[in-house]
Amino acid sequence: MARPRDIGVVDLMIGFPYEDKRATFEYLRRNLKDEESRGFQFPAQYMFGETPDAADGEDPVAVTFAAMDRHGVAIGLFGLGERSIEAAARHPGRVYHAVEVDPTDVMGAVRRLREAHAEHDIRAASVFPSGLMPQIGIAEAAMYPVYATCVELDVACIVNAGIAGPRFPSGVQHVEHLDRVCYDFPDLRLVMRHGAEPWEALAVKLMLKWPNLHYMPSAFAPRYYPQAVIDYANTRGADKIIYAGYYPMGLTLDRIMAELDDLPLADHVWPRFLRDNAVRVFRLGGHDEADRGVA
Amino acid sequence: MPYPTDIGVIDTMMGSRAGPNAKLNYANLTGIKDADSKGMNFPAQYMFKDVPFSDQARGGGSDTGEPAEPPQGAELLLPFMDRNNVAMAMVGIGDGKSEARSMVEEHPDRFIPSHEPDPNDVMGSVRTIRRLHAESGLKAVTAFPCGRNPQVPIDDPKMYAIYAVCCELGLPVFCCAGIPGPRVPFAPQHVELIDRVMYDFPELTFVTRHGCEPWEDLIVKLMIKWPNLHYSTSAFAPKYYPKAIIDYANTRGADKIIYAGYFPMGLSLDRIFAEMVDVPFNDDVWPKFLRDNAARVLGLDV
Repeated sequence: MARPRDIGVVDLMIGFPYEDKRATFEYLRRNLKDEESRGFQFPAQYMFGETPDAADGEDPVAVTFAAMDRHGVAIGLFGLGERSIEAAARHPGRVYHAVEVDPTDVMGAVRRLREAHAEHDIRAASVFPSGLMPQIGIAEAAMYPVYATCVELDVACIVNAGIAGPRFPSGVQHVEHLDRVCYDFPDLRLVMRHGAEPWEALAVKLMLKWPNLHYMPSAFAPRYYPQAVIDYANTRGADKIIYAGYYPMGLTLDRIMAELDDLPLADHVWPRFLRDNAVRVFRLGGHDEADRGVA
Repeated sequence: MPYPTDIGVIDTMMGSRAGPNAKLNYANLTGIKDADSKGMNFPAQYMFKDVPFSDQARGGGSDTGEPAEPPQGAELLLPFMDRNNVAMAMVGIGDGKSEARSMVEEHPDRFIPSHEPDPNDVMGSVRTIRRLHAESGLKAVTAFPCGRNPQVPIDDPKMYAIYAVCCELGLPVFCCAGIPGPRVPFAPQHVELIDRVMYDFPELTFVTRHGCEPWEDLIVKLMIKWPNLHYSTSAFAPKYYPKAIIDYANTRGADKIIYAGYFPMGLSLDRIFAEMVDVPFNDDVWPKFLRDNAARVLGLDV
């Protein structure tokens, strides 16, 4: 039951400490209407106790990798950007990229995805439906070319599901929309991020139904992982639940890893949760390596 | 104003089957519920006079001296095309071997390949379009939103995956719009749905088929608004071309209106061109309507 220490962890949501946190989240501010949110550096900060410090003049890549080394995190999936490209060069084999796309420009999103794949071998596209301006639902038309391109490129697709942290509407991220997407794209490897709450029971039902639908508890401190998700991981869902953190957006790796020690996962689930599922679903390494990674 | 006789016409809609075989054209149209339609060889035949080679046509095909078992494919089409000065015709080639595919392979100077995928199979559609483009010189993707079961509206998410591939490959989409002839619901083909598609895909070339009625004023408004939106006259005998369309072609829309027939599905090519001489297009519109607009939209090097 105890978290094993001999597994090279894959963290599916990690980044580098911000030099200017407010500027990093500026793009989300255009959707916000309430006065308090406008004052936030990070639009979901009201939910988090203490958020990680800014870079403060240190080498951001070194800061992140020091934290990874401290906690046995072998590999990170980073949002594609200058910093992640630099980190990939400095730490070969430990950095993979996901590209965030904006389907409000449908063909622009498709092209961005193809270019990022050709130039940086990205392993996933990611979309934040509530954060788009205007918002686009998970099963809306403008999303479909992104899904189709992911299938053609054989990369995973990460989509926020559940109530959004920032104070804008969340209907476009209702978990029920995933049912139709999984139906129309049986080959799409789709991964929910940010918890799917308060529809975690529905998320579990849909994962039972759709073989290629997965869940990562990004943005959740482990003590708040939904019980339905833990139960599912320990029963039929051992291959479906995949670890993701939230550093440096809202959580430190120190806190995440300390709380993970208390997570009641079964022995056979731990390696899948921390590494093997990520390797398989995101095709980390070459495809042969990925096959070996399956528990 | 007079109809020019020296232009090699491009017909952007022709079929390869006639007679009893024509029933195969409607194999996808499985959502029809009324008993009357189920007995029809051609589910929109109630609107047409003298469907070519049909024993169910008003007036009776066999009474007109047509053979009950006509030739198929190029053997059927080329004599009609030659005597009406139709240089090239676009035909749907399907996914595998077909009469139409043979026609395109044997007469590449006369037949232009298009394909109509079933958008209900999203990735299957995407893959087939790419394959036919790479292997068979595909020039256009076509769609009949009301004719699928389940129906797939013009602005449906599944269509968006297809539009994106068309943008990437530079292929135009020819899509039915307006009330469909077959007795299935019309909502998936409402002309207003096109507005959103043109907004989301500014580079997509979109050509309506089958008239857009009764929203012909709306399609004219939308063509004025969206540079890559066009209209083709398929399934309409020239005497029934909507006045709004003729007026638009003669004013700002000379580059937007494209000839398409409906032979042998519903109209004889001989009838189409007999009526054509009476359409009041301006002199400068005729060559664009009959040939140049189609050649440009289809990317033909002619």
